[in-house]
Amino acid sequence: MGVTQHGRGAESLLGELLAPCRAACPVHVDVPRYVQALAEGRFSDALGIVIERNPLPAVCGRVCLRPCEDGCRRCQLDEPLAIAQLKRAASDHGVYPTLEAAPKRLERVAVVGAGPAGLTAAYDLARLGYGVTLFESKPEAGGMLRYGIPAYRLPAEAIAEDVRFIAAQGVDIVCGKTLGVDLDLEQLRADYDAVVVAAGLQASRPLPIPGNDLPEIATALPYLATCRDGQPPALGERVIVIGGGNVAIDVARSARRAGAREVTMVCLESRDEMPASAHEIHDAEEEGVKFVPARGMKAVVGTDHVEGLETVRCVSVFDADRRFAPTYDESDRQVIEGDAVIFAVGQGADVASLGLETTPRGLLVVDPATLATPTEGVYAAGDVTCGPTKVIDAIAAGHRVAASIHATLTGDDRLLEMLDEDFEKLGPIPEAVAVRLETRRRVQCERLEVYEAVETFDEVEEGYTKYEAAREAQRCLACTTGAQLDRDKCASCLTCSRVCPYGVPVFQPGGYPYFNADACRACGACAAECPAGAIRLGGWNEDEVAEKVAAGLRRPEKDKTIGFVCGYTHDLPSLLGKDAEIITVSCLLRISDRIVLGAFESGAKKVVFSGCTEESCRFPHAMPLVAERVCRVRALLEEAGMADDFVVSGESEDADDANGTADSADDSVGTKPVKEGAR
Amino acid sequence: MIVVRQKKLEDIQAEIAPYKRVLLVGCNTCAAVALAGGENETSRMASTLRLRNAREGGDKEYSFTVLQRQCEPEFLEELDHSEADVILSLGCGAGVALLSEIIAKPIMPALDTLFIGAARGYGSWRAECSACGNCVLDQTGGVCPVTRCAKGIMNGPCGGVDNGKCEVDPNQECAWVTIYDRMEDLGRSEDAEKIIEPRDFSRRITCRAWGLPEGGSK
Repeated sequence: MGVTQHGRGAESLLGELLAPCRAACPVHVDVPRYVQALAEGRFSDALGIVIERNPLPAVCGRVCLRPCEDGCRRCQLDEPLAIAQLKRAASDHGVYPTLEAAPKRLERVAVVGAGPAGLTAAYDLARLGYGVTLFESKPEAGGMLRYGIPAYRLPAEAIAEDVRFIAAQGVDIVCGKTLGVDLDLEQLRADYDAVVVAAGLQASRPLPIPGNDLPEIATALPYLATCRDGQPPALGERVIVIGGGNVAIDVARSARRAGAREVTMVCLESRDEMPASAHEIHDAEEEGVKFVPARGMKAVVGTDHVEGLETVRCVSVFDADRRFAPTYDESDRQVIEGDAVIFAVGQGADVASLGLETTPRGLLVVDPATLATPTEGVYAAGDVTCGPTKVIDAIAAGHRVAASIHATLTGDDRLLEMLDEDFEKLGPIPEAVAVRLETRRRVQCERLEVYEAVETFDEVEEGYTKYEAAREAQRCLACTTGAQLDRDKCASCLTCSRVCPYGVPVFQPGGYPYFNADACRACGACAAECPAGAIRLGGWNEDEVAEKVAAGLRRPEKDKTIGFVCGYTHDLPSLLGKDAEIITVSCLLRISDRIVLGAFESGAKKVVFSGCTEESCRFPHAMPLVAERVCRVRALLEEAGMADDFVVSGESEDADDANGTADSADDSVGTKPVKEGAR
Repeated sequence: MIVVRQKKLEDIQAEIAPYKRVLLVGCNTCAAVALAGGENETSRMASTLRLRNAREGGDKEYSFTVLQRQCEPEFLEELDHSEADVILSLGCGAGVALLSEIIAKPIMPALDTLFIGAARGYGSWRAECSACGNCVLDQTGGVCPVTRCAKGIMNGPCGGVDNGKCEVDPNQECAWVTIYDRMEDLGRSEDAEKIIEPRDFSRRITCRAWGLPEGGSK
């Protein structure tokens, strides 16, 4: 959660009811809202929404383990939205926002370690007005993102983009300074009002088995760092990687790229128990990495050089209480031949010399609620406090430590309290509604061909084009953005239940409709048709639309034409000249009579309605209802003597001539065909 | 409910022509349900009037508000009309009447009051009652001959019935055919044969007002 550009000073960062994707995200990024923006081709808006909660969009768009996708309600229908790739599309095609600087505070904070936790903490603190210095021991900021994750998954430029944005908020980043070497903790405590240690897990050790000191032995982190620097050591043709986690996969795939002809991953766990993500395992296998699961390591074989790895069968890794207690079948021995062994069997903290209290595992001791260490004024966040976690967990810890420091320095603990705010999660789609929903397969990202991929450290996934991103985003079910009733205004007219094709509004004793959020598809028909103005849509505000209209009409380069365009339209109609102000919406059903008439009142010379086509329309009732509304608005405008100023695309021959102008719109989604299909 | 319909903009303009500052007042009960006088429709009419005014270079000022029910004096107390020269009511005739009685300003109707009706679906109503003060629905299977028969005859059908349709409007079911069918369905065909007494028009004329007897109940 943490500090948002909009949320500062607000009492609540979350609504009461969260979409499952948002609920599952450790920092509760407002996924439905940014995906909606993408669906409408508003990439910069989407990026701004991501950044409200997550200052590392380019990074997370590539390497987040995406717990959000497990929550996606599309899983009930086909497959989840590609939320991470969509986040990447926001950062690829959107412009990072220019945020208004916060009023400066006198207090200064030192953050040590420019990984995801440190970067986030520094960003939040700078946004709160603190003077922040972010120290990094390596030559460049990024921490494990920069030196631990291979470039084919996360190129340096993506990290640099996010780091530039964070630095632009006033964070002073000082690289090449190591705590305990160039920096003295006591001196930092004296110079700053608070110190955050976000040093990560820098230690990477081989297993204590015979032969682990042979020359062709490496450990994961130094090996990955040398790959990042473009100078991986020549380890030989056949490389054995020990470990079953995502880091081991990174090592194995890096070794392929560094020239190893044959890479074998050996791990204790069985295939099903391997901690690596399924898609990572899949990608590694595609690149020719071999897996030898359920093996215990006995010794590295070889006298002067590595010749292989001696293993025994691992019967079980965990005991009945899920504690790590491997058992072996010593009779099942096997030597895996190889020229080098890289250990990727966990990382450790390297903070023993700092004089801070540590756990038996060598991690820093912190209060989990405040992330304060027992040493006054010193805080810690990220992996150094809890062992290896996900990037997004480190970002969450960064938010927490910033909120905690703010609470200590100012006495205002609202931000910290908001991090533990309760919320309710949207339930599954009711069966009666689910059967009425269309299925749509995920839009696949272009990727390097495997034979190309293993030749270089270039990024494998190319990322969505604008058009692909919009198409993928359009699969979103818009959870929690549906109808909400203002009972004080409701006239119990039943119009909502008569226009809803999903049977969502149910009338209860007392005569008020109840909108089941699990079932509502957020098309907007009821809100626009409600005669009493008693229905609101989550995240939708007619006043904001009116402001957009007014802003568009003020722009001197525009021709005072307002185009309300369905974001699901493939092409912009030619009747929208390049000087028209285009306002995209998730469905034209949302554009009420009031909005159209209001646009004319604000000075619009012409208003254009441009809907989608029958094949791209997601709502079975939208077209007839919009047609009815058009008739009604026309009749009103006729009375006002200006019926000709309201134009609907697709009504005349030339309106169908749709092309050309799409590229002129700032966030055009283009016209390229898209590849859809199963993974 | 009372079913209402918006007048033509030209007619409304003629009503308010002499006045400069116009306050549109919606009604959030029957008129809202009839999709003619709720907040949505009131704001829409205000917009349309403003656009027309701008087009014609007029100097009129339009504002709008919505009352819960225009036919209740207590609800009218909350109406701030200090800035208005004329009030344009988007309520039924009763609303216009009560506003006129309580507020010493010109009150103009923006709606035509059509009938007492029942909804037939989204945006569709049918007249079911004419408020005659002399209800015979017990004898007609719940179908009102006064309202639904074009001639309002009390014993039908007339000779103009054609294939179950009304001669006045061939799209319209004959009310009396409907009555006989309904009574038959109810097993009351014999009752349907009985002659209904002529309507007592005096009951309608005398029923200008009605209240619960003192004490609040009969």
